[in-house]
Amino acid sequence: MTGQISAVERARQSNRKVATVALSIALGMLGLGYASVPLYRIFCQVTGYGGTTRRVDIAQAATVKDSGREMRVRFDANVARDMPWEFKPLQRTDTVSIGARDMALFWAKNDSNQTVTGTASFNVEPEQAAKYFNKIQCFCFTEQTLKPGEEVRMPVLYYIDPAILDDPDNKDVAEITLSYTFHVTSIGDAKTLDQNKPGG
Amino acid sequence: MTSGKHARALGNSLKALGLSLASFLTIAAVPAIAQDAAAGSYTPMKPTEGVGMPVPEGIGLQDQYSKIGEYGAWIHNDVLLPIITIITLLVLVLLIVVMVRFNRRANPVASKTSHNTVIEVIWTLVPVLILIGIAVPSIDLIAKQYKPAPKGALTIKVTGNQWFWTYGYPDNGDFEVVSNMLNVPGQPTINNGVREVGSEPWDGPSHLEVDNRMVVPAGEPIRLQVTAADVIHSFAVPSLWFKLDAVPGRINEKVLMIEKPGVYYGQCSELCGAKHGYMPIAVEALPRDKYDAWVLTHAGGVIDGQKAAGTDTDYLPGEQPAGAAPAADASAAAAEAE
Amino acid sequence: MATTAEHFQAHAEEHHHDHKPGFFARWFMSTNHKDIGTMYLIFAIFAGIIGGAVSGVMRAELAAPGIQYLQYISPWVGDDPSNFNATLHLWNVLITAHGLIMVFFMVMPAIIGGFGNWFVPIMIGAPDMAFPRMNNISFWLTVAGFCSLMFSAFVPGGTGMGAGTGWTVYAPLSTTGSPGPAVDFGIFALHLSGAGSIMGAINFITTIFNMRAPGMTMHKMPLFVWSVLVTAFLLLLSLPVLAAAITMLLTDRNFGTTFFDPSGGGDPILYQHLFWFFGHPEVYIMILPGFGIISQIISTFSKKPVFGYLGMAYAMVAIGVVGFIVWAHHMYATGLSVNTKMYFTAATMVIAVPTGIKIFSWIATMWGGSIEFKSPMVWAIGFIFLFTVGGVTGVVLANGGVDDVLHDTYYVVAHFHYVLSLGAVTALFAGFYYWFPKMSGKMHSEFLANLHFAVFFVGVNMIFFPMHFLGLQGMPRRYPDYAEAYTYWNHIATIGYMIMASSLVIWFVNIIYAFTAGKQAEDNYWGEGATTLEWTLSSPPPFHQFETLPVIEEAAHH
Repeated sequence: MTGQISAVERARQSNRKVATVALSIALGMLGLGYASVPLYRIFCQVTGYGGTTRRVDIAQAATVKDSGREMRVRFDANVARDMPWEFKPLQRTDTVSIGARDMALFWAKNDSNQTVTGTASFNVEPEQAAKYFNKIQCFCFTEQTLKPGEEVRMPVLYYIDPAILDDPDNKDVAEITLSYTFHVTSIGDAKTLDQNKPGG
Repeated sequence: MTSGKHARALGNSLKALGLSLASFLTIAAVPAIAQDAAAGSYTPMKPTEGVGMPVPEGIGLQDQYSKIGEYGAWIHNDVLLPIITIITLLVLVLLIVVMVRFNRRANPVASKTSHNTVIEVIWTLVPVLILIGIAVPSIDLIAKQYKPAPKGALTIKVTGNQWFWTYGYPDNGDFEVVSNMLNVPGQPTINNGVREVGSEPWDGPSHLEVDNRMVVPAGEPIRLQVTAADVIHSFAVPSLWFKLDAVPGRINEKVLMIEKPGVYYGQCSELCGAKHGYMPIAVEALPRDKYDAWVLTHAGGVIDGQKAAGTDTDYLPGEQPAGAAPAADASAAAAEAE
Repeated sequence: MATTAEHFQAHAEEHHHDHKPGFFARWFMSTNHKDIGTMYLIFAIFAGIIGGAVSGVMRAELAAPGIQYLQYISPWVGDDPSNFNATLHLWNVLITAHGLIMVFFMVMPAIIGGFGNWFVPIMIGAPDMAFPRMNNISFWLTVAGFCSLMFSAFVPGGTGMGAGTGWTVYAPLSTTGSPGPAVDFGIFALHLSGAGSIMGAINFITTIFNMRAPGMTMHKMPLFVWSVLVTAFLLLLSLPVLAAAITMLLTDRNFGTTFFDPSGGGDPILYQHLFWFFGHPEVYIMILPGFGIISQIISTFSKKPVFGYLGMAYAMVAIGVVGFIVWAHHMYATGLSVNTKMYFTAATMVIAVPTGIKIFSWIATMWGGSIEFKSPMVWAIGFIFLFTVGGVTGVVLANGGVDDVLHDTYYVVAHFHYVLSLGAVTALFAGFYYWFPKMSGKMHSEFLANLHFAVFFVGVNMIFFPMHFLGLQGMPRRYPDYAEAYTYWNHIATIGYMIMASSLVIWFVNIIYAFTAGKQAEDNYWGEGATTLEWTLSSPPPFHQFETLPVIEEAAHH
């Protein structure tokens, strides 16, 4: 009798062990699901996946040499549906020397009668060129706030890494497009920032 | 990743097999022809029945009007469809054979065979070989679809909205065309202020025709950039083998090249809310000169400011009221190019 | 044990008139795997009727171009019928509900919750599941999830009442594009049923690993048990990722986070990656137990052991593993990079190999057999053919370049209904006729079962085969209305629906016949070919089986 009870008890313990392992696998996958957000961001930054550009500082930029080879760069600007701004590139296209630093200007104007803070999302097409597109300075690094009716010129300081010339995936790329979309971060007084849902 | 390299190698071997599509996407850039700046004119083209649209009782792919589409349709119709039909028929025949030969009356005593290594290896390896055979042209097709637009290609920007499309022409003076589905007689109004389908002689099929078509030049590669203003949409034209999602916050880019003039219809292909079914796409491909004439019908329309290589088209905010550049800008840009 | 048959009968009658003490305890606090399995089956039939009725509305609406019926349905959920946008929103609610109900509340509860609960413990010689009380919680969580989903149809979801996001719940349509609580309730429904399924998966894994009878080694387990084991692992690995993704949707919707919102640095494409990381294994979760059922049936009625038992078991494991690395083939149109698209094309085609092994092994099992065409066998042979048709169109869709013209068209709808509606559901009916007398103790009518098959077979092929044509012609899915040119095949499909629906009437008549006039089922009513452990028990099995554990002899199986 006691032998039987202990057998039942042993089976119970063993069941609990298997269930615990299974549960931890499930919890691990749950964690991985959440971790995928930062991991995906890092993956995109490292590989240029999804057309993600690189961010570099001036010191890094100084080490790059002008290759003398030309590339055409196109600039594209969009606003999300609820964004009451006008937003345009001040040059549609530019022909730049690969490896040389260049600057593009964008222009934005707040058409609403409220102060609006926005952030810009961005990507590069063709996608395989993104990892060679280096931004030294960009209005997209921070939020931008415009008062009612205010307009602003915003620079992007960038260069194209000459390594692109050695990449077979990029040998047919004749023109690179840098695209921005401005989204509302908050509308109204900057103090009310937390009370406004982003995106809208 | 090395699959790209493999694909190129596979693609090359395919060419060696005589399946070459060497002229693929290598149309020489049409030289810009100076147009009479005042010659803007446009009458929408009447679509041809059965071209660029579904046909009643149709059972196959729509006829294709791009090189990519011809290649893709060849892969589907002449490679995949025969293979899957043969496999399905093989399974059907085998099922019929076992049902006839091995039913209880024909074969009262069942064998006890449950292993045969040779046959197991065969039915593992043969499918592998078939799949490799499919993968060669399939991967090659992907490689060709992703070939970037050549230098000087016209860029057109497509934006999906709930529930209409807008088409921007950044190389033609940055004007924008808003495209709404035409209302269907006898059905509730889809778009207020838009006419009913059939009220103009050039109207195509209901549910597919729009008030303002996306007009493009035929016979040259176009860099199509697709984005969305609110939720995800998808820009799709079956007869041009083109489908690309319009994702808010980013652009997607792909080359579209239409072989010959015509009207080609498509529909939004990603669920985007209530009127998802009512935001069709109508692409009207025109010969270059007629395209240029169409451009000039728009306020601020200029003929390819970008055509000559090295030209930078610069706009200043003061001179550039939303979506309309003065025609002088174009000549200035052209002069700058000299 | 002689009382068990009466026992079951008594309870069958209880459904109709009386509420004896014990009814509540048995059916609401049940810890018996067979009772819970029965409840899952009844629940799945109920949910299937609702999901099927929804598709009936859809097929009626699609019988001709224009909007004919939606405005008459929309007041049922509280929409203003004169609001055309709300009427169109109802369409999206219907397609969403149909997808979610059929996947989460019909196929999964029936095939895993129903047949899995009933026969996995019996087939491995276990007295019950490892965690009987958790089993009960799993079931009621699924029911609660279903209630939450039903409730969501009656609360505002943006343009109209209900969640109209599609079963994929893509952001930003499901976040900024759908204000109102409907999508929240829809997400909550997935949370509840997902939690139930994860618990179920843990229960099956523990039961199969720990509670096999002496001598029942892993490599002697019937293939149905193998299929449920692989399925349980797929659930365990994929559902938590869905849970994470939809929780992030929920916080994006309600608490100002921007996981999938570009305005805060998020990416809507990431949601699609997460969803399909779950979503692709999910389709195998629905079909693998079906594979297991078909293997048992083919072997039984061919009177032969399954051909290539180990190959069959490990083909399922391979399908499960590869199923986790092919997800982005659902996203070919999102603007994937060229190398990504090539990889997913190649990886997806690999799945055809183990799937082919299964098809050929089933045929080889029949080869040399002495086949008896009893109703489960008729359904199983139908399954092999229909699943092959769905499988080969999957090979077509695997090609990223070809998918550019087929993605989100009716070709895709045809493909996944051939593998699910005609694959998984056919396997469900095969399993139903195989085991119904075992579960109920009453024989069904073989004539009606075969008639059911014949009418169903004609009906479903008439619904779904023309959808290939519509898709090739470019008709997008999730459309309530279409151009004239698509009318012909849509009309045929709607007629097919009516034929299919009438086959279900035959099915219900058969069930009623079995309970009212059906003969008492013997222990092993299929005869010598049926060798698994459930055939050693009475029909229905005793309330507590295997009080003395069975000992499995060498070579008892395969």
